[in-house]
Amino acid sequence: MLKALLARLKQGYRTGTFPPAPPNLPPDFRGRPELDAGITADEVAAMKKICPVADALAHDGACASLDLGRCTFCGRCAKVCPKVRFTREYRLGVFRREDLVVKAGAPAYVPPVQTDPAAKALKHTLQMREVSAGGCAGCELDANVLGTLAWDMGRFGIRFVASPRHADAIYLTGPVSENMQLALDKTYAAAPEPRFLICAGACAISGGLYKQGRLPAEPALFIPGCPPHPATTLEALLRFTGRQHESRALVPLR
Amino acid sequence: MIQVKNFASAAEADACLAALGGYADPSGVNVLKGPATHEVAVGPVHAGVIEPGHFRFQCMGEDVYNLQIYLGYQHRGVEELIVQADGSLPRQVALAETCAGDSSIAAATAFAEIVESRDGLALAAEDVRVRTVLLELERIANHVGDLGALAGDVAFLPTASFCGRIRGEYLNMTAEICGNRFGRHAVVPGGERVKLTPEKAAKIASWIATVKKDLDGALRLMFESPSVCDRLEGTGVVPKDVAAELGLVGVARRASDEGRGDVLSRALVRRTEIEEAHAKILPLLDPAWKPVATPARPERPGADAPFCVLVATTAAWRGPLVHAALLARGKLRRYRIVDPSAHNWPGLAYALRGEQISNFPICNKSFNLSYCGTDR
Repeated sequence: MLKALLARLKQGYRTGTFPPAPPNLPPDFRGRPELDAGITADEVAAMKKICPVADALAHDGACASLDLGRCTFCGRCAKVCPKVRFTREYRLGVFRREDLVVKAGAPAYVPPVQTDPAAKALKHTLQMREVSAGGCAGCELDANVLGTLAWDMGRFGIRFVASPRHADAIYLTGPVSENMQLALDKTYAAAPEPRFLICAGACAISGGLYKQGRLPAEPALFIPGCPPHPATTLEALLRFTGRQHESRALVPLR
Repeated sequence: MIQVKNFASAAEADACLAALGGYADPSGVNVLKGPATHEVAVGPVHAGVIEPGHFRFQCMGEDVYNLQIYLGYQHRGVEELIVQADGSLPRQVALAETCAGDSSIAAATAFAEIVESRDGLALAAEDVRVRTVLLELERIANHVGDLGALAGDVAFLPTASFCGRIRGEYLNMTAEICGNRFGRHAVVPGGERVKLTPEKAAKIASWIATVKKDLDGALRLMFESPSVCDRLEGTGVVPKDVAAELGLVGVARRASDEGRGDVLSRALVRRTEIEEAHAKILPLLDPAWKPVATPARPERPGADAPFCVLVATTAAWRGPLVHAALLARGKLRRYRIVDPSAHNWPGLAYALRGEQISNFPICNKSFNLSYCGTDR
């Protein structure tokens, strides 16, 4: 017992200050990309050649675009085309699929604000049942990490629960492999209404590198990334329940 | 490490790939029957944030006589997709990395070695250095996470909490080097996508020095607690001869060879491997690091052979990760990935024999096998 107390004293208080303080991101962090106006179809074609995902980049004849729902954030396109830059914007979660498509020359990005009262009703408690359906464990591990004391999402009333019966939302990772389709459908159906589907990672949003199965419902929150950074996920979950302006984090006990 | 073999016919080459082994479903094997028996079925969706698999505990009274492990829920066709993506290296590497996301660096390294051998690409010593550092950081992060989870599963919360945070520090070191916590997109065939500048190396080295102290303290606390050791010792035993017969590899095999093959010895092997990994990378992080030898340019064995099998083995954190490519006159015809987990699932099933279901979490965590790596 004394040893445990001594170890605790040495380890110190470790919960991060994010949020409300900005997250500690690595120097080469690749967040939301910016595309300059005037990217030509040829430049898009050249970038597509080195892009690991089909159809992430597109050019409709007038305007180039990059679909974050497919992007793995490898940064290769930015290496071959200086008109593409990956910024440090980590607030990537959106509520509509079309908001994931970054258009060339688009105005400065402002993260969307939640207007759905059913989602805002969860601002003091968001319980999620995670379903990995073909996920590679990347998204699963970086979702799990939010439960550790370094991120401690429990202080916001957000947590993963063991049963879909206790869940407000199904947190889906993976492209929905054929053999997980039934289990996913049943798990989603087992959650009480109103229920939300949260798609985390490129695979869950679009299939990413893989062919996507069938989603059980229209997702209410998209968290892009491969896998999404924990800061991206936590910020998206807070904003999903309309808490982006608040800093309801408990005052750290230092 | 890469091995090359030429074959005269496609059938022989296919047989060579098949001989690499894999996991077979236990359907119909060792089924326990009788009026006093019962079966507890779990999954595919589990209570935690983990991947799907289906377990059937066949019990008599409280004791598990047999555990059947059904996998396949995670099958995405990674091998076939890698063959289809031939010609697009970025896509192939990304597929290899996401076969089992917790071994991304090991997988990308194995895939890169195959391509380097196929195309005769020489690596710079700097590339080997970066790969080694990333691979060992991956090993440390996973072992630390698992030891913490093991502590959590026996309700020893101090070490569970400390290790959960410390694992994150090692992932952040990986992100510091390449921008991604899992080292995605860092290893590319032919080398040089990330560089370990002297400043970066010095930063990681001093970071490790700080974190390692916390880690040592957290692990000492756990392994010096009689209540923890009592819970882990003698639980989930896989004796040495059984481990050999089942063909276990990696951490699990080492625990049976060097120790009693119980949960405690698997935990201690991980602690040892954490030490070994630190000893390996600290000299590489010295800002004054100089290469001792230039890596040799691999021969191009597969270029003209009618059927050539290239087998790359990487020391992933769970054990040897094997990638194999069948080339027909230089063109990729078949690809196989054998995750160390594929060999070790029967070990987990064996470890549960005679245990109670309540011991499954710590047995499972002591192996921590990859579902998606096995299902591919």
